[in-house]
Amino acid sequence: MTDGDLEVFLSLVERHRRYMYKLAFRITGNEQDAKDVVQESVLNAYLHLKQFEQRADLRTWLNRILVNCALDHLRSRRRRPDVNDPRPISDVAETAVSSSPDAERLIASADWRRQVSAVMDTMSPLERVTFALRHFEGCSINEIAQTVGIGANATKQHIFRAVRKLRLALEPHWSGR
Amino acid sequence: MSHLSDDELVLHYYGEDGPEIVSVERHLRSCDQCARSFAALSQTLTAVTPPEFGEGADELPALRPFILEHQRDRAPAGLIALVWLVPLLYPFSFRALFNSVQVVHEHVVGMALVALSLAWTFAGPFVAIYALNRGAVDRFDRASTRVLLFGALVAATSPALFVFASRAMPGLLWWYVAVATACLMALPRWPSSTRAAASFLYVHRLSALIVTAFVSAHIINQAIAFFSLSSYTAMRGVMRIASQQPALYAVLVGAVGIQIVTGAAIGMRKVRAGSVAANLQAVSGWYLAAFLLVHVFSGLMFSPSPSTTTVAPSATQFDLLATARLTAQLPFLLLGVSAFLFHIGLYGRLAALAHLAESSVRRLSYAAMLVGTTVVVTVGLALCGIHLIR
Repeated sequence: MTDGDLEVFLSLVERHRRYMYKLAFRITGNEQDAKDVVQESVLNAYLHLKQFEQRADLRTWLNRILVNCALDHLRSRRRRPDVNDPRPISDVAETAVSSSPDAERLIASADWRRQVSAVMDTMSPLERVTFALRHFEGCSINEIAQTVGIGANATKQHIFRAVRKLRLALEPHWSGR
Repeated sequence: MSHLSDDELVLHYYGEDGPEIVSVERHLRSCDQCARSFAALSQTLTAVTPPEFGEGADELPALRPFILEHQRDRAPAGLIALVWLVPLLYPFSFRALFNSVQVVHEHVVGMALVALSLAWTFAGPFVAIYALNRGAVDRFDRASTRVLLFGALVAATSPALFVFASRAMPGLLWWYVAVATACLMALPRWPSSTRAAASFLYVHRLSALIVTAFVSAHIINQAIAFFSLSSYTAMRGVMRIASQQPALYAVLVGAVGIQIVTGAAIGMRKVRAGSVAANLQAVSGWYLAAFLLVHVFSGLMFSPSPSTTTVAPSATQFDLLATARLTAQLPFLLLGVSAFLFHIGLYGRLAALAHLAESSVRRLSYAAMLVGTTVVVTVGLALCGIHLIR
Protein backbone atom coordinates (compact mmCIF):
# COMPACT_ATOMS: atom_id res chain seq x y z
CA MET A 1 0.00 0.00 0.00
CA THR A 2 1.25 3.47 -0.85
CA ASP A 3 1.08 6.78 1.03
CA GLY A 4 -1.67 7.77 -1.40
CA ASP A 5 -3.74 4.75 -0.33
CA LEU A 6 -3.32 5.82 3.29
CA GLU A 7 -4.55 9.33 2.55
CA VAL A 8 -7.63 8.04 0.69
CA PHE A 9 -8.31 5.53 3.45
CA LEU A 10 -8.06 8.15 6.20
CA SER A 11 -10.37 10.52 4.38
CA LEU A 12 -12.96 7.73 4.15
CA VAL A 13 -12.56 6.83 7.80
CA GLU A 14 -12.79 10.47 8.86
CA ARG A 15 -16.52 10.48 7.96
CA HIS A 16 -17.16 7.65 10.39
CA ARG A 17 -14.69 8.51 13.11
CA ARG A 18 -17.09 10.32 15.39
CA TYR A 19 -19.63 7.49 15.16
CA MET A 20 -16.86 4.97 15.83
CA TYR A 21 -15.82 6.89 18.92
CA LYS A 22 -19.41 7.01 20.20
CA LEU A 23 -19.80 3.25 19.72
CA ALA A 24 -16.45 2.53 21.37
CA PHE A 25 -17.36 4.79 24.30
CA ARG A 26 -20.72 3.10 24.78
CA ILE A 27 -19.06 -0.29 24.84
CA THR A 28 -16.02 0.49 26.98
CA GLY A 29 -17.57 3.19 29.18
CA ASN A 30 -14.55 5.50 29.36
CA GLU A 31 -12.89 8.01 27.10
CA GLN A 32 -9.31 6.75 27.11
CA ASP A 33 -10.36 3.18 26.29
CA ALA A 34 -12.65 4.47 23.55
CA LYS A 35 -9.76 6.42 21.96
CA ASP A 36 -7.48 3.37 22.12
CA VAL A 37 -10.17 1.17 20.56
CA VAL A 38 -10.78 3.63 17.70
CA GLN A 39 -7.04 3.88 17.03
CA GLU A 40 -6.58 0.10 17.06
CA SER A 41 -9.58 -0.52 14.84
CA VAL A 42 -8.56 2.07 12.24
CA LEU A 43 -5.11 0.49 12.13
CA ASN A 44 -6.62 -3.00 11.78
CA ALA A 45 -8.96 -1.78 9.05
CA TYR A 46 -6.02 -0.29 7.15
CA LEU A 47 -3.93 -3.45 7.51
CA HIS A 48 -6.82 -5.59 6.23
CA LEU A 49 -8.08 -3.19 3.60
CA LYS A 50 -7.89 -5.88 0.93
CA GLN A 51 -10.54 -7.88 2.78
CA PHE A 52 -12.99 -5.00 2.38
CA GLU A 53 -12.95 -5.61 -1.37
CA GLN A 54 -16.39 -5.08 -2.87
CA ARG A 55 -18.36 -4.88 0.36
CA ALA A 56 -21.02 -2.23 -0.01
CA ASP A 57 -21.01 -0.69 3.43
CA LEU A 58 -17.80 0.69 4.86
CA ARG A 59 -19.45 1.62 8.17
CA THR A 60 -20.68 -1.95 8.77
CA TRP A 61 -17.20 -3.29 8.06
CA LEU A 62 -15.55 -0.70 10.31
CA ASN A 63 -18.09 -1.42 13.07
CA ARG A 64 -17.33 -5.11 12.95
CA ILE A 65 -13.62 -4.42 13.33
CA LEU A 66 -14.27 -1.90 16.10
CA VAL A 67 -16.52 -4.25 18.08
CA ASN A 68 -13.89 -7.00 17.95
CA CYS A 69 -11.14 -4.55 18.96
CA ALA A 70 -13.34 -3.41 21.85
CA LEU A 71 -13.83 -7.04 22.90
CA ASP A 72 -10.06 -7.63 22.90
CA HIS A 73 -9.58 -4.38 24.81
CA LEU A 74 -12.15 -5.32 27.47
CA ARG A 75 -10.55 -8.75 27.84
CA SER A 76 -7.11 -7.26 28.38
CA ARG A 77 -8.60 -4.68 30.78
CA ARG A 78 -10.04 -7.49 32.89
CA ARG A 79 -6.60 -9.05 33.11
CA ARG A 80 -5.20 -5.82 34.60
CA PRO A 81 -5.89 -6.00 38.35
CA ASP A 82 -5.84 -2.21 38.84
CA VAL A 83 -8.77 -1.70 36.51
CA ASN A 84 -10.67 -4.92 37.02
CA ASP A 85 -13.55 -4.42 39.43
CA PRO A 86 -13.57 -7.43 41.73
CA ARG A 87 -16.77 -6.39 43.51
CA PRO A 88 -19.56 -8.92 43.32
CA ILE A 89 -22.88 -7.75 41.95
CA SER A 90 -24.44 -7.72 45.44
CA ASP A 91 -21.89 -5.12 46.61
CA VAL A 92 -22.74 -2.91 43.64
CA ALA A 93 -26.41 -3.07 44.62
CA GLU A 94 -25.57 -2.01 48.19
CA THR A 95 -24.02 1.24 47.00
CA ALA A 96 -27.41 2.33 45.72
CA VAL A 97 -28.54 5.91 45.87
CA SER A 98 -31.42 5.98 48.27
CA SER A 99 -32.70 9.47 48.66
CA SER A 100 -33.83 10.54 45.18
CA PRO A 101 -37.39 11.76 45.35
CA ASP A 102 -38.63 10.31 42.06
CA ALA A 103 -37.68 7.98 39.28
CA GLU A 104 -36.83 10.66 36.70
CA ARG A 105 -34.51 12.52 39.03
CA LEU A 106 -32.94 9.26 40.07
CA ILE A 107 -32.18 8.30 36.46
CA ALA A 108 -30.76 11.73 35.73
CA SER A 109 -28.49 11.71 38.76
CA ALA A 110 -24.75 11.19 38.50
CA ASP A 111 -24.95 8.55 41.24
CA TRP A 112 -27.31 6.50 39.13
CA ARG A 113 -25.00 6.70 36.11
CA ARG A 114 -22.08 5.64 38.26
CA GLN A 115 -24.08 2.72 39.54
CA VAL A 116 -25.11 1.60 36.05
CA SER A 117 -21.46 1.91 35.03
CA ALA A 118 -20.42 -0.20 38.04
CA VAL A 119 -22.88 -2.94 37.05
CA MET A 120 -21.59 -2.81 33.47
CA ASP A 121 -18.08 -3.34 34.87
CA THR A 122 -19.21 -6.60 36.50
CA MET A 123 -20.25 -7.96 33.09
CA SER A 124 -17.97 -10.20 31.07
CA PRO A 125 -16.62 -8.63 27.84
CA LEU A 126 -19.10 -10.57 25.70
CA GLU A 127 -22.03 -9.71 27.96
CA ARG A 128 -21.05 -6.05 27.88
CA VAL A 129 -20.56 -5.86 24.12
CA THR A 130 -23.72 -7.78 23.18
CA PHE A 131 -25.80 -5.79 25.67
CA ALA A 132 -24.41 -2.44 24.51
CA LEU A 133 -25.08 -3.28 20.87
CA ARG A 134 -28.63 -4.47 21.61
CA HIS A 135 -29.62 -1.89 24.19
CA PHE A 136 -27.75 1.28 23.23
CA GLU A 137 -27.33 0.76 19.49
CA GLY A 138 -30.58 -1.11 18.78
CA CYS A 139 -28.85 -3.81 16.72
CA SER A 140 -30.87 -7.01 16.25
CA ILE A 141 -29.62 -10.25 17.82
CA ASN A 142 -28.74 -11.63 14.40
CA GLU A 143 -26.74 -8.52 13.52
CA ILE A 144 -24.88 -8.74 16.82
CA ALA A 145 -24.19 -12.44 16.28
CA GLN A 146 -22.70 -11.67 12.85
CA THR A 147 -20.67 -8.73 14.10
CA VAL A 148 -19.19 -10.52 17.09
CA GLY A 149 -18.82 -13.85 15.26
CA ILE A 150 -20.83 -16.03 17.65
CA GLY A 151 -24.16 -17.85 17.27
CA ALA A 152 -27.54 -16.18 17.73
CA ASN A 153 -28.33 -18.39 20.73
CA ALA A 154 -25.01 -17.55 22.37
CA THR A 155 -25.73 -13.86 21.77
CA LYS A 156 -29.11 -14.20 23.48
CA GLN A 157 -27.54 -15.95 26.46
CA HIS A 158 -24.97 -13.17 26.92
CA ILE A 159 -27.70 -10.51 26.74
CA PHE A 160 -29.88 -12.44 29.22
CA ARG A 161 -27.00 -12.64 31.69
CA ALA A 162 -26.22 -8.95 31.29
CA VAL A 163 -29.86 -8.01 31.89
CA ARG A 164 -30.00 -10.33 34.91
CA LYS A 165 -27.02 -8.52 36.44
CA LEU A 166 -28.63 -5.13 35.82
CA ARG A 167 -31.95 -6.24 37.31
CA LEU A 168 -30.28 -7.74 40.36
CA ALA A 169 -28.45 -4.51 41.10
CA LEU A 170 -30.97 -1.91 39.98
CA GLU A 171 -34.47 -3.28 40.57
CA PRO A 172 -34.29 -2.95 44.38
CA HIS A 173 -34.56 0.84 43.81
CA TRP A 174 -37.94 0.51 42.17
CA SER A 175 -39.30 -2.13 44.51
CA GLY A 176 -38.22 -0.12 47.55
CA ARG A 177 -40.04 3.03 46.41
CA MET B 1 -50.10 -20.35 28.29
CA SER B 2 -47.86 -20.76 31.37
CA HIS B 3 -46.07 -17.78 32.93
CA LEU B 4 -43.38 -16.12 30.84
CA SER B 5 -39.76 -16.66 31.83
CA ASP B 6 -37.40 -13.75 32.50
CA ASP B 7 -35.60 -14.49 29.24
CA GLU B 8 -38.88 -14.42 27.27
CA LEU B 9 -39.67 -11.06 28.85
CA VAL B 10 -36.27 -9.71 27.80
CA LEU B 11 -36.84 -10.90 24.22
CA HIS B 12 -40.28 -9.26 24.24
CA TYR B 13 -38.86 -5.98 25.56
CA TYR B 14 -36.45 -5.84 22.62
CA GLY B 15 -39.06 -7.09 20.15
CA GLU B 16 -36.97 -10.17 19.44
CA ASP B 17 -39.63 -12.80 20.21
CA GLY B 18 -40.41 -13.40 16.53
CA PRO B 19 -43.81 -14.91 15.66
CA GLU B 20 -44.57 -15.34 19.39
CA ILE B 21 -44.87 -11.59 19.84
CA VAL B 22 -48.67 -11.55 19.50
CA SER B 23 -49.31 -14.41 21.92
CA VAL B 24 -46.83 -12.96 24.43
CA GLU B 25 -48.54 -9.58 24.26
CA ARG B 26 -51.96 -11.23 24.69
CA HIS B 27 -50.65 -13.14 27.70
CA LEU B 28 -49.26 -9.98 29.29
CA ARG B 29 -52.71 -8.40 29.07
CA SER B 30 -54.37 -11.34 30.80
CA CYS B 31 -51.74 -12.27 33.43
CA ASP B 32 -51.12 -9.78 36.26
CA GLN B 33 -48.00 -11.55 37.52
CA CYS B 34 -46.25 -11.50 34.15
CA ALA B 35 -47.42 -7.93 33.50
CA ARG B 36 -45.87 -6.81 36.82
CA SER B 37 -42.59 -8.59 35.97
CA PHE B 38 -42.54 -7.01 32.53
CA ALA B 39 -43.24 -3.55 33.97
CA ALA B 40 -40.35 -3.93 36.44
CA LEU B 41 -38.03 -5.10 33.66
CA SER B 42 -39.08 -2.25 31.36
CA GLN B 43 -38.61 0.31 34.13
CA THR B 44 -35.08 -0.92 34.81
CA LEU B 45 -34.01 -1.19 31.18
CA THR B 46 -35.52 2.16 30.26
CA ALA B 47 -33.49 3.71 33.07
CA VAL B 48 -30.27 2.29 31.64
CA THR B 49 -29.34 5.04 29.22
CA PRO B 50 -26.13 5.24 27.14
CA PRO B 51 -23.19 6.83 28.92
CA GLU B 52 -22.75 10.48 28.02
CA PHE B 53 -19.45 11.30 26.46
CA GLY B 54 -17.65 14.51 27.04
CA GLU B 55 -15.03 16.28 24.98
CA GLY B 56 -13.24 13.10 23.91
CA ALA B 57 -14.93 12.91 20.52
CA ASP B 58 -13.36 16.17 19.46
CA GLU B 59 -9.95 15.24 20.80
CA LEU B 60 -9.44 12.04 18.88
CA PRO B 61 -5.78 11.18 18.41
CA ALA B 62 -4.19 11.67 15.03
CA LEU B 63 -4.46 8.41 13.15
CA ARG B 64 -1.91 9.05 10.42
CA PRO B 65 1.26 9.06 12.58
CA PHE B 66 -0.07 6.06 14.52
CA ILE B 67 -0.48 4.02 11.33
CA LEU B 68 2.85 5.16 9.88
CA GLU B 69 4.63 4.26 13.12
CA HIS B 70 3.05 0.81 13.10
CA GLN B 71 3.96 0.30 9.45
CA ARG B 72 7.62 0.58 10.38
CA ASP B 73 7.25 -2.26 12.89
CA ARG B 74 9.05 -5.40 11.85
CA ALA B 75 8.86 -8.81 13.47
CA PRO B 76 11.71 -8.59 16.02
CA ALA B 77 14.90 -10.26 14.80
CA GLY B 78 15.44 -11.83 18.25
CA LEU B 79 12.11 -13.66 18.06
CA ILE B 80 12.86 -14.87 14.54
CA ALA B 81 16.24 -16.20 15.70
CA LEU B 82 14.61 -17.87 18.71
CA VAL B 83 11.97 -19.76 16.73
CA TRP B 84 14.47 -20.98 14.12
CA LEU B 85 16.94 -22.02 16.83
CA VAL B 86 14.42 -24.59 18.10
CA PRO B 87 14.48 -26.88 15.02
CA LEU B 88 18.23 -26.38 14.65
CA LEU B 89 18.91 -27.63 18.18
CA TYR B 90 16.04 -30.11 18.45
CA PRO B 91 18.01 -33.25 17.38
CA PHE B 92 20.32 -32.74 20.36
CA SER B 93 17.53 -32.35 22.91
CA PHE B 94 16.30 -35.94 23.03
CA ARG B 95 19.91 -37.18 23.00
CA ALA B 96 20.42 -34.96 26.07
CA LEU B 97 17.28 -36.49 27.61
CA PHE B 98 18.52 -40.00 26.93
CA ASN B 99 21.98 -39.26 28.39
CA SER B 100 20.56 -37.53 31.47
CA VAL B 101 18.36 -40.59 32.15
CA GLN B 102 21.57 -42.69 32.11
CA VAL B 103 23.11 -40.28 34.66
CA VAL B 104 20.10 -40.70 36.98
CA HIS B 105 20.92 -44.42 37.24
CA GLU B 106 24.22 -43.45 38.88
CA HIS B 107 23.48 -40.11 40.63
CA VAL B 108 20.17 -38.83 41.95
CA VAL B 109 21.28 -35.27 41.09
CA GLY B 110 20.83 -36.32 37.47
CA MET B 111 17.11 -35.62 38.05
CA ALA B 112 17.83 -31.93 37.52
CA LEU B 113 19.44 -32.79 34.18
CA VAL B 114 16.40 -34.88 33.25
CA ALA B 115 14.08 -31.99 34.11
CA LEU B 116 16.17 -29.55 32.06
CA SER B 117 16.43 -31.80 29.05
CA LEU B 118 12.69 -32.59 29.26
CA ALA B 119 11.98 -28.84 29.18
CA TRP B 120 14.29 -28.51 26.17
CA THR B 121 12.65 -31.43 24.34
CA PHE B 122 9.13 -30.07 24.86
CA ALA B 123 10.07 -26.39 24.36
CA GLY B 124 9.05 -26.04 20.67
CA PRO B 125 5.30 -25.33 21.01
CA PHE B 126 5.83 -23.05 24.01
CA VAL B 127 8.49 -21.02 22.18
CA ALA B 128 6.09 -20.77 19.21
CA ILE B 129 3.24 -19.46 21.37
CA TYR B 130 5.58 -16.98 23.08
CA ALA B 131 6.87 -15.70 19.74
CA LEU B 132 3.38 -15.37 18.25
CA ASN B 133 2.13 -13.46 21.30
CA ARG B 134 5.07 -11.06 21.26
CA GLY B 135 5.70 -10.67 17.54
CA ALA B 136 3.89 -8.49 15.03
CA VAL B 137 2.12 -11.29 13.17
CA ASP B 138 -0.69 -9.36 11.52
CA ARG B 139 1.23 -8.18 8.44
CA PHE B 140 1.43 -11.18 6.12
CA ASP B 141 2.63 -9.01 3.28
CA ARG B 142 5.97 -8.64 5.12
CA ALA B 143 8.67 -11.28 4.67
CA SER B 144 9.77 -10.87 8.30
CA THR B 145 6.26 -11.73 9.54
CA ARG B 146 6.12 -14.80 7.34
CA VAL B 147 9.59 -15.95 8.43
CA LEU B 148 8.53 -15.56 12.08
CA LEU B 149 5.24 -17.35 11.51
CA PHE B 150 6.81 -20.19 9.56
CA GLY B 151 9.59 -20.43 12.17
CA ALA B 152 6.93 -20.74 14.88
CA LEU B 153 5.22 -23.45 12.84
CA VAL B 154 8.43 -25.45 12.39
CA ALA B 155 9.42 -24.90 16.06
CA ALA B 156 6.01 -26.08 17.28
CA THR B 157 6.01 -29.18 15.11
CA SER B 158 9.72 -30.10 15.34
CA PRO B 159 9.18 -33.31 17.38
CA ALA B 160 6.71 -34.65 14.80
CA LEU B 161 8.61 -33.37 11.77
CA PHE B 162 11.83 -34.90 13.06
CA VAL B 163 10.21 -38.34 13.45
CA PHE B 164 8.75 -37.98 9.95
CA ALA B 165 12.04 -36.80 8.43
CA SER B 166 14.03 -39.55 10.12
CA ARG B 167 11.62 -42.17 8.72
CA ALA B 168 11.72 -40.69 5.23
CA MET B 169 15.43 -39.85 5.04
CA PRO B 170 17.47 -40.81 8.10
CA GLY B 171 20.39 -38.55 8.97
CA LEU B 172 20.90 -35.12 10.48
CA LEU B 173 21.90 -33.61 7.13
CA TRP B 174 18.43 -34.24 5.70
CA TRP B 175 16.84 -32.69 8.77
CA TYR B 176 18.76 -29.47 8.23
CA VAL B 177 17.95 -29.52 4.50
CA ALA B 178 14.25 -29.81 5.45
CA VAL B 179 14.53 -26.90 7.92
CA ALA B 180 16.31 -24.72 5.34
CA THR B 181 13.62 -25.56 2.75
CA ALA B 182 10.91 -24.58 5.23
CA CYS B 183 12.67 -21.24 5.80
CA LEU B 184 12.84 -20.57 2.06
CA MET B 185 9.12 -21.36 1.69
CA ALA B 186 8.34 -18.44 4.00
CA LEU B 187 9.89 -15.91 1.63
CA PRO B 188 7.36 -15.79 -1.26
CA ARG B 189 4.02 -14.04 -0.68
CA TRP B 190 1.12 -16.26 0.38
CA PRO B 191 -2.26 -16.24 -1.32
CA SER B 192 -5.11 -14.80 0.73
CA SER B 193 -7.35 -17.57 2.10
CA THR B 194 -9.81 -15.52 4.17
CA ARG B 195 -12.94 -16.56 2.29
CA ALA B 196 -11.92 -20.18 2.01
CA ALA B 197 -11.08 -20.28 5.71
CA ALA B 198 -14.66 -19.46 6.74
CA SER B 199 -16.13 -22.25 4.62
CA PHE B 200 -13.44 -24.71 5.74
CA LEU B 201 -14.31 -24.24 9.40
CA TYR B 202 -17.58 -26.19 9.16
CA VAL B 203 -15.94 -29.14 7.39
CA HIS B 204 -13.05 -28.99 9.86
CA ARG B 205 -15.38 -29.29 12.87
CA LEU B 206 -17.44 -32.06 11.27
CA SER B 207 -14.44 -34.26 10.47
CA ALA B 208 -13.06 -33.47 13.95
CA LEU B 209 -15.89 -35.51 15.50
CA ILE B 210 -14.65 -38.71 13.82
CA VAL B 211 -11.01 -38.06 14.65
CA THR B 212 -11.89 -37.11 18.25
CA ALA B 213 -13.74 -40.40 18.83
CA PHE B 214 -10.82 -42.42 17.48
CA VAL B 215 -8.03 -40.47 19.18
CA SER B 216 -9.87 -40.36 22.54
CA ALA B 217 -10.17 -44.15 22.55
CA HIS B 218 -6.49 -44.37 21.68
CA ILE B 219 -5.40 -42.02 24.48
CA ILE B 220 -7.58 -43.73 27.08
CA ASN B 221 -6.01 -47.06 26.09
CA GLN B 222 -2.51 -45.59 26.34
CA ALA B 223 -3.34 -44.34 29.85
CA ILE B 224 -4.70 -47.79 30.74
CA ALA B 225 -1.25 -49.19 29.91
CA PHE B 226 0.08 -47.45 33.03
CA PHE B 227 -2.34 -49.39 35.22
CA SER B 228 -2.36 -52.75 33.44
CA LEU B 229 -0.39 -53.86 30.41
CA SER B 230 -2.64 -56.87 29.79
CA SER B 231 -5.80 -54.69 29.77
CA TYR B 232 -4.09 -52.40 27.28
CA THR B 233 -3.23 -55.35 25.04
CA ALA B 234 -6.79 -56.67 25.13
CA MET B 235 -8.33 -53.29 24.31
CA ARG B 236 -5.78 -52.63 21.58
CA GLY B 237 -6.72 -55.93 19.95
CA VAL B 238 -10.39 -54.88 19.82
CA MET B 239 -9.54 -51.41 18.46
CA ARG B 240 -7.24 -52.89 15.85
CA ILE B 241 -9.93 -55.28 14.57
CA ALA B 242 -12.36 -52.33 14.33
CA SER B 243 -9.93 -49.99 12.60
CA GLN B 244 -8.84 -52.67 10.11
CA GLN B 245 -12.35 -52.75 8.60
CA PRO B 246 -11.78 -51.18 5.15
CA ALA B 247 -14.77 -48.83 5.35
CA LEU B 248 -13.89 -47.59 8.84
CA TYR B 249 -10.24 -47.22 7.91
CA ALA B 250 -11.13 -45.19 4.82
CA VAL B 251 -13.42 -42.92 6.86
CA LEU B 252 -10.70 -42.42 9.46
CA VAL B 253 -7.91 -41.67 6.98
CA GLY B 254 -10.28 -39.38 5.05
CA ALA B 255 -11.24 -37.48 8.22
CA VAL B 256 -7.58 -37.06 9.18
CA GLY B 257 -6.77 -35.83 5.67
CA ILE B 258 -9.63 -33.30 5.80
CA GLN B 259 -8.49 -32.16 9.25
CA ILE B 260 -4.96 -31.50 8.02
CA VAL B 261 -5.95 -29.73 4.80
CA THR B 262 -8.70 -27.54 6.32
CA GLY B 263 -6.62 -26.91 9.45
CA ALA B 264 -3.69 -25.72 7.32
CA ALA B 265 -6.02 -23.37 5.42
CA ILE B 266 -7.48 -21.73 8.51
CA GLY B 267 -4.59 -22.07 10.96
CA MET B 268 -2.20 -19.51 9.53
CA ARG B 269 -4.72 -16.67 9.65
CA LYS B 270 -5.84 -17.40 13.20
CA VAL B 271 -2.68 -16.19 14.90
CA ARG B 272 -2.63 -12.68 16.37
CA ALA B 273 -0.18 -10.87 18.59
CA GLY B 274 -1.41 -10.84 22.19
CA SER B 275 -4.25 -13.28 21.61
CA VAL B 276 -3.20 -16.20 23.78
CA ALA B 277 -6.27 -18.37 23.19
CA ALA B 278 -6.19 -17.97 19.39
CA ASN B 279 -2.45 -18.72 19.31
CA LEU B 280 -2.84 -21.75 21.58
CA GLN B 281 -5.57 -23.03 19.30
CA ALA B 282 -3.44 -22.46 16.20
CA VAL B 283 -0.23 -23.96 17.63
CA SER B 284 -2.01 -27.02 19.09
CA GLY B 285 -3.73 -27.44 15.71
CA TRP B 286 -0.41 -27.25 13.84
CA TYR B 287 1.14 -29.88 16.07
CA LEU B 288 -1.92 -32.09 15.86
CA ALA B 289 -1.84 -31.92 12.05
CA ALA B 290 1.87 -32.84 11.99
CA PHE B 291 1.30 -35.59 14.55
CA LEU B 292 -1.62 -37.15 12.66
CA LEU B 293 0.31 -36.86 9.40
CA VAL B 294 3.18 -38.87 10.85
CA HIS B 295 1.06 -41.25 12.94
CA VAL B 296 -1.54 -42.16 10.33
CA PHE B 297 0.09 -41.50 6.98
CA SER B 298 3.70 -42.51 7.51
CA GLY B 299 2.44 -46.13 7.78
CA LEU B 300 0.97 -45.74 4.31
CA MET B 301 3.98 -43.94 2.84
CA PHE B 302 6.76 -46.01 4.34
CA SER B 303 6.71 -49.78 4.96
CA PRO B 304 5.50 -50.45 8.51
CA SER B 305 7.86 -52.09 10.94
CA PRO B 306 7.09 -55.71 11.82
CA SER B 307 6.27 -54.70 15.40
CA THR B 308 3.11 -52.88 14.26
CA THR B 309 1.58 -56.06 12.90
CA THR B 310 1.85 -58.13 16.06
CA VAL B 311 -0.95 -58.11 18.63
CA ALA B 312 1.26 -58.10 21.75
CA PRO B 313 3.02 -54.84 22.59
CA SER B 314 6.61 -54.94 21.44
CA ALA B 315 9.45 -54.74 23.90
CA THR B 316 10.36 -51.20 22.87
CA GLN B 317 6.84 -49.77 22.62
CA PHE B 318 6.75 -49.00 26.34
CA ASP B 319 10.42 -48.41 26.94
CA LEU B 320 11.10 -45.27 25.00
CA LEU B 321 14.14 -44.41 27.09
CA ALA B 322 15.93 -47.60 25.97
CA THR B 323 17.92 -45.91 23.16
CA ALA B 324 18.54 -42.34 22.01
CA ARG B 325 16.66 -43.02 18.76
CA LEU B 326 13.58 -44.30 20.61
CA THR B 327 13.67 -41.31 22.97
CA ALA B 328 12.66 -39.07 20.04
CA GLN B 329 9.26 -40.83 20.17
CA LEU B 330 8.57 -39.59 23.70
CA PRO B 331 8.11 -35.85 22.99
CA PHE B 332 6.47 -36.75 19.68
CA LEU B 333 3.76 -38.85 21.36
CA LEU B 334 3.26 -36.81 24.53
CA LEU B 335 3.01 -33.52 22.66
CA GLY B 336 0.49 -35.23 20.35
CA VAL B 337 -1.68 -36.17 23.34
CA SER B 338 -1.30 -32.67 24.85
CA ALA B 339 -2.08 -30.92 21.55
CA PHE B 340 -5.22 -33.03 21.08
CA LEU B 341 -6.48 -32.30 24.60
CA PHE B 342 -5.68 -28.58 24.28
CA HIS B 343 -7.28 -28.28 20.86
CA ILE B 344 -10.61 -29.88 21.77
CA GLY B 345 -10.49 -28.28 25.23
CA LEU B 346 -10.33 -24.80 23.70
CA TYR B 347 -13.23 -25.60 21.38
CA GLY B 348 -15.14 -26.97 24.37
CA ARG B 349 -14.45 -23.78 26.31
CA LEU B 350 -15.76 -21.67 23.46
CA ALA B 351 -18.93 -23.78 23.23
CA ALA B 352 -19.43 -23.67 27.01
CA LEU B 353 -19.19 -19.86 27.00
CA ALA B 354 -22.38 -19.80 24.93
CA HIS B 355 -24.35 -21.49 27.69
CA LEU B 356 -22.57 -20.88 31.00
CA ALA B 357 -21.29 -17.88 32.91
CA GLU B 358 -17.58 -17.09 32.43
CA SER B 359 -16.78 -17.85 36.07
CA SER B 360 -18.29 -21.36 35.73
CA VAL B 361 -16.42 -21.91 32.47
CA ARG B 362 -13.18 -20.84 34.18
CA ARG B 363 -13.71 -23.37 36.98
CA LEU B 364 -14.52 -26.10 34.46
CA SER B 365 -11.38 -25.16 32.49
CA TYR B 366 -9.21 -25.59 35.59
CA ALA B 367 -10.79 -28.99 36.26
CA ALA B 368 -10.25 -30.01 32.62
CA MET B 369 -6.60 -28.89 32.79
CA LEU B 370 -6.09 -31.04 35.89
CA VAL B 371 -7.64 -34.07 34.19
CA GLY B 372 -5.65 -33.41 31.01
CA THR B 373 -2.34 -33.13 32.89
CA THR B 374 -3.10 -36.37 34.75
CA VAL B 375 -3.78 -38.14 31.44
CA VAL B 376 -0.55 -36.82 29.86
CA VAL B 377 1.55 -37.82 32.90
CA THR B 378 -0.08 -41.28 33.03
CA VAL B 379 0.56 -41.88 29.34
CA GLY B 380 4.14 -40.59 29.79
CA LEU B 381 4.84 -42.98 32.65
CA ALA B 382 3.47 -45.90 30.64
CA LEU B 383 5.62 -44.94 27.63
CA CYS B 384 8.69 -44.88 29.88
CA GLY B 385 7.99 -48.49 30.87
CA ILE B 386 6.37 -47.82 34.24
CA HIS B 387 3.29 -50.00 34.80
CA LEU B 388 1.39 -50.77 38.01
CA ILE B 389 0.46 -54.27 36.75
CA ARG B 390 2.46 -55.91 33.99
